[in-house]
Amino acid sequence: MLSFTVAEIRELMDRPTNIRNMSVIAHVDHGKSTLTDSLVSKAGIIAGSKAGDMRFTDTRQDEIDRGITIKSTAISMYFPLDKEYISEIKQKTDGNEFLINLIDSPGHVDFSSEVTAALRVTDGALVVVDCVEGVCVQTETVLRQSLTERVRPVLIINKVDRALLELQIEKEDLYQSFCRTIESVNVIVSTYQDAALGDTQVSPDQGTVAFGSGLHGWAFSLRNFAAQYAKKFGVDKAKLLAKLWGDNYFNPKTKKWTTKNDGGLERSFNVFVLDPIFRIFDAIMNFKKDEIPTLLDKLEIKLASDEKDLEGKPLLKCVMRKYLPAGDALLEMICINLPSPVTAQKYRVETLYEGPLDDESAIGIRDCDPKGPLMVYISKMVPTSDKGRFYAFGRVFSGTVSSGPKIRIQGPNFVPGKKEDSVIKSVQRTVLMMGRTVEAIEDCPAGNIIGLVGIDQFLLKSGTLTTSETAHNLKVMKFSVSPVVQVAVECKNASDLPKLVEGLKRLSKSDPCVKTTVGENGEIIVAGAGELHLEICLNDLENDHAGVPLRKSDPVVGYRETVQMESSMIALSKSQNKHNRLYVKAEPMSEELARDIEEGRVAPRDDPKTRARYLADTYEWDVTDARKIWTFGPDTTGPNLFVDASKGVQYMNEIKDSVVAAFQWATKEGGVAEEPMRSIRFNILDCTLHADAIHRGGGQIIPTARRVCYAAQLLAKPTLQEPMFLVEIALPESAQGGVYSVMNVRRGQVFSAEQRPGTPMYTLKAYLPVSESFGFNAALREATGGQAFPQAVFDHWEPMGGDCTEKGSKVNELAVKIRTRKALKPDVPLYDHYYDKL
Amino acid sequence: MLYIIGLGLSDEKDITVKGLEAVKRCERVYLESYTSILMIPKEKLEAFYGREVITATRETVELESDDILRDADKVDVAFLVVGDPLGATTHSDLILRASDLNIPTTVIHNASILTALGATGLQMYNFGQTISLPFYTETWTPESWYDRLEENLQVGMHTLVLVDIKVREQSEENMARGRLIYEPPRFMSPHTAFKQILLTETSRNPPTGTTSSSEVTEDETSTAPRSTTLLPPDQTLALSLSRIGTSTQRIIAGTLSELAALPEEEFGPPLHSVVIVGKRLHPLELEFAGRWCVGGENGAWWKVGKDVYGVEKESR
Repeated sequence: MLSFTVAEIRELMDRPTNIRNMSVIAHVDHGKSTLTDSLVSKAGIIAGSKAGDMRFTDTRQDEIDRGITIKSTAISMYFPLDKEYISEIKQKTDGNEFLINLIDSPGHVDFSSEVTAALRVTDGALVVVDCVEGVCVQTETVLRQSLTERVRPVLIINKVDRALLELQIEKEDLYQSFCRTIESVNVIVSTYQDAALGDTQVSPDQGTVAFGSGLHGWAFSLRNFAAQYAKKFGVDKAKLLAKLWGDNYFNPKTKKWTTKNDGGLERSFNVFVLDPIFRIFDAIMNFKKDEIPTLLDKLEIKLASDEKDLEGKPLLKCVMRKYLPAGDALLEMICINLPSPVTAQKYRVETLYEGPLDDESAIGIRDCDPKGPLMVYISKMVPTSDKGRFYAFGRVFSGTVSSGPKIRIQGPNFVPGKKEDSVIKSVQRTVLMMGRTVEAIEDCPAGNIIGLVGIDQFLLKSGTLTTSETAHNLKVMKFSVSPVVQVAVECKNASDLPKLVEGLKRLSKSDPCVKTTVGENGEIIVAGAGELHLEICLNDLENDHAGVPLRKSDPVVGYRETVQMESSMIALSKSQNKHNRLYVKAEPMSEELARDIEEGRVAPRDDPKTRARYLADTYEWDVTDARKIWTFGPDTTGPNLFVDASKGVQYMNEIKDSVVAAFQWATKEGGVAEEPMRSIRFNILDCTLHADAIHRGGGQIIPTARRVCYAAQLLAKPTLQEPMFLVEIALPESAQGGVYSVMNVRRGQVFSAEQRPGTPMYTLKAYLPVSESFGFNAALREATGGQAFPQAVFDHWEPMGGDCTEKGSKVNELAVKIRTRKALKPDVPLYDHYYDKL
Repeated sequence: MLYIIGLGLSDEKDITVKGLEAVKRCERVYLESYTSILMIPKEKLEAFYGREVITATRETVELESDDILRDADKVDVAFLVVGDPLGATTHSDLILRASDLNIPTTVIHNASILTALGATGLQMYNFGQTISLPFYTETWTPESWYDRLEENLQVGMHTLVLVDIKVREQSEENMARGRLIYEPPRFMSPHTAFKQILLTETSRNPPTGTTSSSEVTEDETSTAPRSTTLLPPDQTLALSLSRIGTSTQRIIAGTLSELAALPEEEFGPPLHSVVIVGKRLHPLELEFAGRWCVGGENGAWWKVGKDVYGVEKESR
């Protein structure tokens, strides 16, 4: 039974000050989905007694089987906030009813792209941290992602029951462990200080930290206790709240608060907050039957008659859930501390919108105006029950979306004023995403999260929808993971190929990160962020999207081609008609700059002057060169640059287009082994061009420019870069030896080993080549008796050294291997293959 | 011996007697098919010569010239070019390569649009640099031809504008993927040519009162106000030349604006060229070309000729 109707929700949608769009983010297995259940049960969508066991937001069979979340799932909920708390909300509100749009996201690193897509459409994040494990690598990653998206965090320290039941920890130790976790979160937060977002540090005395157990369905923030005691003792709630955390002690004899622990006083948090909880645990788990009723009386907890017979864990769960219901505590924290769309869009517009901040679309977004021009960002595609069709899932930032009116659908490569990568269509239906089901609604105003039917075939993975003629795109999402692990697939029956091709399209649509390519020789490559991600994608492809039996190759790794010195001489290529000559040199770019480009800090659409200044100041580029960057590549955004370093060559700007096109092609498939190039800067030094434009059109210049890039690359000591995982392994000390031996065999490098304070667990950090990571988890399990838990995330590209053009070198052998796999001529071409003599 | 033979402008019979004799002697006959086209199908040529004719595409000429030159030191090979063989610089490379291989070459000339434009009545002595006008795309509008047109206009010379033809062009995507898939052939009509000329004219000399586009600041010369443009569309005379040298030859005269306003069908099928008339116009030139002017006796041709060019029709 729903405790609210769709009509109620629709009505709340018109009150953007009372909407909270939030994601639940965390490291894998820290309990997001279980915790989400308590919230969902609060909204009456699932029965309270089932919360904790059911994982409502894990909708796929493989999610249930594996016990991990793979896809992010959205759900809209109605929550009436206790009127008492309304005064604590520091932003404009309208009534005490709230609409909470929640997205539960996966915690496994392989699926971080799902998190990115979730964060884009939300304004706040509930960060879940396991009380025993503390802040882990993925906690850090998702927290960083949320802050760069200007999404405000609140924290819940989860699995407190484990600390009490398994570790039998003392109150003060528990307090210290909470402190450490909060501090580690704040350390990360402070490195992303953002003036527009204001102070994002979390603290229990601000009410931005909660503690609890998703499994048992209880949680609290200090606000709950402060309210209770304030009523009991008749003191000011806000003052009491501040006293319940940190070095505050209450002396019961003098009835005074102090900040010094003299005379063996107990910390107020321990006395007022932890003590009742410890007592409940102690009484129930140690079967002190006689104590229980008095305790329950004191805490004003009433049990139903059938619950009175429970004992042990079920009783504990039941009591705690009545005492400190998780849904209330968390939803209160969310409503009070997270921003509404009206608040959030004011500061998010700068980072969201690509166009000028004073055009109608920007103003519509800034004001979250339901009457403004329509601006919707579609962040991902959600499969429908109708096979092969998808809901376009996104957020309305401005205007109101409804079925009927014509809207422009803009893909990531759309440029305002041009027609490319855009199409005008209308939405068929708008639906509310409710976990496993959807509810049809008539329309959806600014500030809400929505699913749209009927536009999936016009969008690849994500895009902008608008009604404004002048609208620019909402910024394309940057993913923290890249598809570095690939396999080649083919169908077992050749006649299934059309189905496979269709299936690949669907797969690529359904996952923000997966990459599918069809090679020159018909080889089909599917690339994912890691082994698990790839496995899931291939399963989906085989069983769902294509529905045909597949043959899969062993996983292979994508490499990058780069150079290690300036070209030993100027590369020259002549056009086919011999009338045009291009002179180009290649040189390595600094690794930091390549990363700047990959992470979007240096981007093709930046203002050229500001960018030139940055390049000159940071990387000591010549300012004139820096202003004449013709293009980035591949895909016009990649980490290679083409610079016009020529002086006074006539007609230069008329060949620019052809060179840019050629450069995309050359950098996408490099000269060594047709792997993408990375971190190479090409300088065009001179040109001889035919006076007549017809004799230097694309047909002449494009192939020539490509050849000259290859020649320049091959003259510059080309090498390969291999992708490296950052692996974080949690393990007990005794298992360390096993880990080191597995690492040694696989060229892994452990660079840090730290004991987690207060636990016998260690955290090892290591770099591991992606090419050595296949079967790593299994090997580790074997070597450590299953005691080590690794998490691997792509970290960086590692130069391999050596010269690809030098026969017999390691990288040359590798290049030959890649070429053979791609059915190219096995030998790495010599530069004179592309070089024309004068 | 490599014979490079001009075929003239129209059909199989335009070849010179000398050229025909050479073709009949040759072992292999290539027809260059991308800088221009003949008005008749290749089969007609084959029937007339009694020889098989091999079509040489751009790839063959530029990349596989060795095929053409194979054994040419021992046997005779003909390379047929529409118009005059050396009219465009394009084929000098073939001759250089032949001479590298010690293959003797003979060039047999023929008529070309460069000479046939005498048909307009404009004196060949008064022509300046020839320019070609490529098809504009959304992102590529090369304008360097305009500078050379201006140079001609400054000294009062006429300008022959060759217009783009695209035979066997690959799309950019196919080119990038190395697929040999060709777009259907396209021939620029004077209609498009005049439109493009006016487009560049407006972008170089935007009407006063509006702010100039960003390109203007890059090019110092184009910041000149509109009044000083050398190519005012209403006051510049021009001609379209269609299928010169054939039985359906057609010339239309008028101001740039008038010609740009004509529908595309008016000019008929390819091939076409365009002439921009320079200030050093002779009364006879005016009268000769005026026979084809838009609007007949009352056309703007005569008025502009008188007011702007200072030339009047001589009364008879």
